[in-house]
Amino acid sequence: MKAVSLFIPCIVDQWLPSIGMAAADLLRRIGCRPYFRRQQTCCGQVLYNSGHTNAARKLARRFIVIFEADELIVSPSASCVHMVKSHYPVLFADDPFWRRRAESLGARVFELSEFMVDHMGATDVGARFEGFVAFHESCSHLRGLGLSDQPKALLDGVSGLTRVSMEGPDICCGFGGRFSVDYPEISTAMAADKAERFAVSGADVLILGEPGCLLQIGGYVNRHYPGRRVVHLAAFLAENAEGFRRSPGRKEGVG
Amino acid sequence: MKVRTSQYRQIAAREMADAHTRRFLRLLPVRLAQRRQAAFADYVNPAAAIRSGAAIRAKSLENLPSLLETFEQNALASGAKVFWARDADQANRYIIDTAKENGVSVVAKGKSMISEEAGLNEALSEAGIETWETDLGEFITQLLERPPFHIVGPAINIPVERISDIFLEKGVIDSPESDPVRLGLSARRFLRNRFRRAGMGITGVNMAVAETGTLINVENEGNIRFCKSAPRIQVSVMSLEKVVKTTREALELLRLLCRSSTGQLMSAYVSMDCGPKKEGETDGPEQLHIVILDNGRSRIYKDPVTRNALQCIRCGACLNACPVYGQIGGYPYGWAYSGPMGQVVSPLLLGLSATRDLFKSCTLCGTCRDICPAGVDHPKLMLHYRSRDVAADPLLHGSGSSLFEKTMVAAYVKAASHPVLWEAAGRGLRSALNLRAKDGVIKGAPGVFKNWFQSRDLPEGPSRSFRSLWDDDPEGQGDDHAR
Repeated sequence: MKAVSLFIPCIVDQWLPSIGMAAADLLRRIGCRPYFRRQQTCCGQVLYNSGHTNAARKLARRFIVIFEADELIVSPSASCVHMVKSHYPVLFADDPFWRRRAESLGARVFELSEFMVDHMGATDVGARFEGFVAFHESCSHLRGLGLSDQPKALLDGVSGLTRVSMEGPDICCGFGGRFSVDYPEISTAMAADKAERFAVSGADVLILGEPGCLLQIGGYVNRHYPGRRVVHLAAFLAENAEGFRRSPGRKEGVG
Repeated sequence: MKVRTSQYRQIAAREMADAHTRRFLRLLPVRLAQRRQAAFADYVNPAAAIRSGAAIRAKSLENLPSLLETFEQNALASGAKVFWARDADQANRYIIDTAKENGVSVVAKGKSMISEEAGLNEALSEAGIETWETDLGEFITQLLERPPFHIVGPAINIPVERISDIFLEKGVIDSPESDPVRLGLSARRFLRNRFRRAGMGITGVNMAVAETGTLINVENEGNIRFCKSAPRIQVSVMSLEKVVKTTREALELLRLLCRSSTGQLMSAYVSMDCGPKKEGETDGPEQLHIVILDNGRSRIYKDPVTRNALQCIRCGACLNACPVYGQIGGYPYGWAYSGPMGQVVSPLLLGLSATRDLFKSCTLCGTCRDICPAGVDHPKLMLHYRSRDVAADPLLHGSGSSLFEKTMVAAYVKAASHPVLWEAAGRGLRSALNLRAKDGVIKGAPGVFKNWFQSRDLPEGPSRSFRSLWDDDPEGQGDDHAR
């Protein structure tokens, strides 16, 4: 059994824990043994994206020390993985000691669907769902890590599921972290376009792999298209898999 | 051109409320993006073509000082005059002096971003020289005194009725006209008369070839070729990063430029000119002046990170691809350069403190970088600007962050450095926000969250975090591998 270190995004840890539990559940289903390093908190992405480079560097060093000994590190967020893989080396561009450590670590960090499909060859987790599903291609998945086939392969592995096409699946949903509150009108207009494309796609559920997009699109859809669901891929697969048991500590709500 | 980059928010709000702009933005960027894609399908390997373009631009910049010297030598040898302008004022003064020395009172201009950047039209007007933009779109924006809406179509968003009104007001037509083709013909007739009187033509430069001293322009209306060949004196204004080494490289970039900007395999007109009219030739200007404008680019060039912004070839493909541009259009960017192109170029030329919204109003989605035929990494540059702004970089005129922001960041780092504090802070935040939850949904909250709830809900925070659930999970326990 492959031991896999869970890299849980801060937003998942503190606000969307069911996604983290789902990721652990899926990893077990495909024959891995997930474990969680309790020292982990935040990779520093939110600081880095808003220009607080020194602060981000502190959290990056901390992250490297915590995860450095792990062989396989898996996260249910492409933007967090992208931060570690692509931005840590930039943060330490002038610091060879930490840059080498960052690059070595980055090579062992994987996004969940990437790990499941490319490394474990798993596309069928025993999930069943009768319905129409659309897929949103998150920026960090598609353009950050170059992932698109992997999450779709996992969806196509769900029996009974019909994947429908949605216009502009690769257009940004307008979250962008701080952008969503710094430029609320523009961010909202982008979310509205995305939600409308989902609404006319004929899909019952919109699936995506990024917690940030989930808050943005899910939050907008919940207010303006009540009854429609936006769900993280990991949660969707786990919830619809055979023998799924819901984790305690979460009431049903958006997403 | 007046700099309005600090009014980004106001202009964006105005544009988003404008039904005409919105309707238009649903059409143009989409259509141009489709055309671009179709034109790129003509390549055997589109991705390789883009990589090759990026490599040419990177290599050209690497050798920029020597390429510029070679270009100057060859341009001089062909009979052109070369003027190196440190800033916009120097460039404008040289052009005005040249006009005055030669008794020029009317100037015909081809569309040129660098002259917008330099504020050349205003300078010429102040000097009492009549200046006419001869690109149809640019002519309309000149009459309306508006910045370009889109680099490829500066006035493409202006309704026909508005064009008819302004043409009437300025004497281009005598009676209202609703047929766009007739409006275009009227402008053509009007401008043809200006061309006859123009003693000087001023154009920009798409590419300059070092090994031959050639100036290349692409266009679809023929007005640039007219500007370059009819008037007695020709002035070509180029920013100093426009030079490439060989004609072969220039042609490769031209193919990418035309596909990227208008989705054409090649634009209707391509002008390649070396020097003024030679003895025995019938066409061409008697004098050719090449103004090479620095305007802060040497400084940008010295920093290997910001140098990347100089790779831009001004095709405008990033505008059509940008989801933010698609909501607000070109005006909010407040200067000659709009969209992601403006977001990476303007902060370097105008300073970070005057352009904060340009590098902050971006989700870092990366579509611009993926589509760029010249290898510009827009997200990386915008992250760099954000970082230099927080650091109050004196060279780039960064303004630093507020005391509130500094305190918040310090608190965040502190909490994130101690898992117990982190968990406590998370629990505190959940409890506070959950007070407002109803049926599992939070629909509003004050303070830093207020803007979120303008249009979006938030699921009620869970009673327990992931780490706390994990401790209780029979399969999760004891799995820490802690050293």
